[in-house]
Amino acid sequence: MSMIILLIIWSLVSYITKNEIPGPKATWLVFKEMMADPFYDYGPNDKGIGVQLFSSIKRVLMGFLLGSIFAIPIGILMGSSKIAMKIINPIVQVLRPVSPLAWFPLGLLAFKAADGATVFIIAITSLWPTLINTAFGVSNIPNDHKNVGKAFGFSKWRYISRILIPFSLPHIITGLRLSIGIAWMVIVAGEMLSGGVGIGFFVWDSWNGLSLEKILSAILIIGFVGLILDKIFSGVHTFFEYEAKS
Amino acid sequence: METLEILEKKEKISSTGNCIEIKDLRISFPAKSGKIFTAVKDINLNIKSGEIVSIIGHSGCGKSTIMNSISGLVKPSEGTVIVNGKPVKGPGPDRGIVFQNYSLLPWFSVYRNVYEAVDSVHQEYTKAEKHEWVEKNLEMVNLLQHKDKLPSQLSGGMKQRTAIARAFAINPSVLLLDEPFGALDALTKSALHVELLKIWNLNHRKQTIVMVTHDIEEAIFLSDRVVVMNDGPEATIREIVHIPIERPRNKKEIVHTKTYMDVHDKLLSLLVKNLSIEDAGVAYE
Repeated sequence: MSMIILLIIWSLVSYITKNEIPGPKATWLVFKEMMADPFYDYGPNDKGIGVQLFSSIKRVLMGFLLGSIFAIPIGILMGSSKIAMKIINPIVQVLRPVSPLAWFPLGLLAFKAADGATVFIIAITSLWPTLINTAFGVSNIPNDHKNVGKAFGFSKWRYISRILIPFSLPHIITGLRLSIGIAWMVIVAGEMLSGGVGIGFFVWDSWNGLSLEKILSAILIIGFVGLILDKIFSGVHTFFEYEAKS
Repeated sequence: METLEILEKKEKISSTGNCIEIKDLRISFPAKSGKIFTAVKDINLNIKSGEIVSIIGHSGCGKSTIMNSISGLVKPSEGTVIVNGKPVKGPGPDRGIVFQNYSLLPWFSVYRNVYEAVDSVHQEYTKAEKHEWVEKNLEMVNLLQHKDKLPSQLSGGMKQRTAIARAFAINPSVLLLDEPFGALDALTKSALHVELLKIWNLNHRKQTIVMVTHDIEEAIFLSDRVVVMNDGPEATIREIVHIPIERPRNKKEIVHTKTYMDVHDKLLSLLVKNLSIEDAGVAYE
């Protein structure tokens, strides 16, 4: 149903702009052509959509993983110590709204390579929701649970692995879900700047080749992949959700 | 029996024969208004090893505060709390706690809830010994067939039994029960009273049990002495009442004895000022 509404609006826009923006039918034909052989590779500037998509997903996952490796421990630290929260929170609030594009030159400088810079900007822009949600989860551990740890002499590690992590896990996963969404959004901007290979580069290359049908196909693919990533994490979330009543 | 050996190792009685010594205890908290709120003061209480003592009083009289000072979750503002000859510095595995709201970890099964406590406290055991010990404790509270269930799948009574098994499983010389049966229906409550005494008996009555309650019948049935608190804030001990009823006690039989009724009346008049509306100055028409 919602798909039909989207198609109608799309056709309408296409009609109003006198086909300057191609309609669903024209796009579908190009899309079919693109999907016919998605993995061809004719040199650096001519690769199939599958190859582009694959390299983008790889980059997103790398950046997302890198970001999460920092975000979760720092979030735990912030959530469990009021002093750490006071020190780190202002830094987080300042860095969080910075656009991914602003980080790009810094990434280039640090990694001396466009590929490294792209992974870097994905990591640094996508880590914030995970960090904030982890900190929120950890800071909300009920005293009852903390007292169990104290009363039965739990070591630091036992407390973290048996009480802190299990309690905050649903929050952490919500954070990760938001983070992967941002990472996937950032990839297009990042690859437009970095060039080479990837779905973002593909969009930019299609614009240079004036193929709006390809751009629209790419947008649909980007949206679809984003949806799948989100579904995966929401699935993980339901898997780890225990019954909170005790 | 290995159970016995472990208990013997744990057993440390101070020179006075008291397991718990509370002296001139005062506990205050900073209140929201900036003032200092004193929960309890001038608390002096000695509890012998193997004794069962109940602390009874109205809500907000600082019963749980005294309890938490023994468990080490709350630090005394003044005075000292000595357990097994050592001043209490924080929670420790020599004191097993059964919390008011069970406090089971909801992501672990019944078995795992007990196992984590055993694994944490008895690190000298082998894996097989820990497993055997956990199962034994679950068997004592009749939960072995439910060991793989999560706390959310249990009834209130089963949760409480799990919490009791967990507290007993770390083999504490002192067992602290904070309104353990408060949220349970009367039938489950009675069954658990007997259950508790049964375990205490199986452990050769060596464990000292301190229990917070607001149930007079429960206090009489279980305890050797009942500590009656005044109303808070700045609550003090009103009176300590001995329960001169021989063990083993039979719930059905003791209620008809004169001793029981006398003690019951005494506790009731200590706790409740108005026993009818006429006492409250209202004429019954």
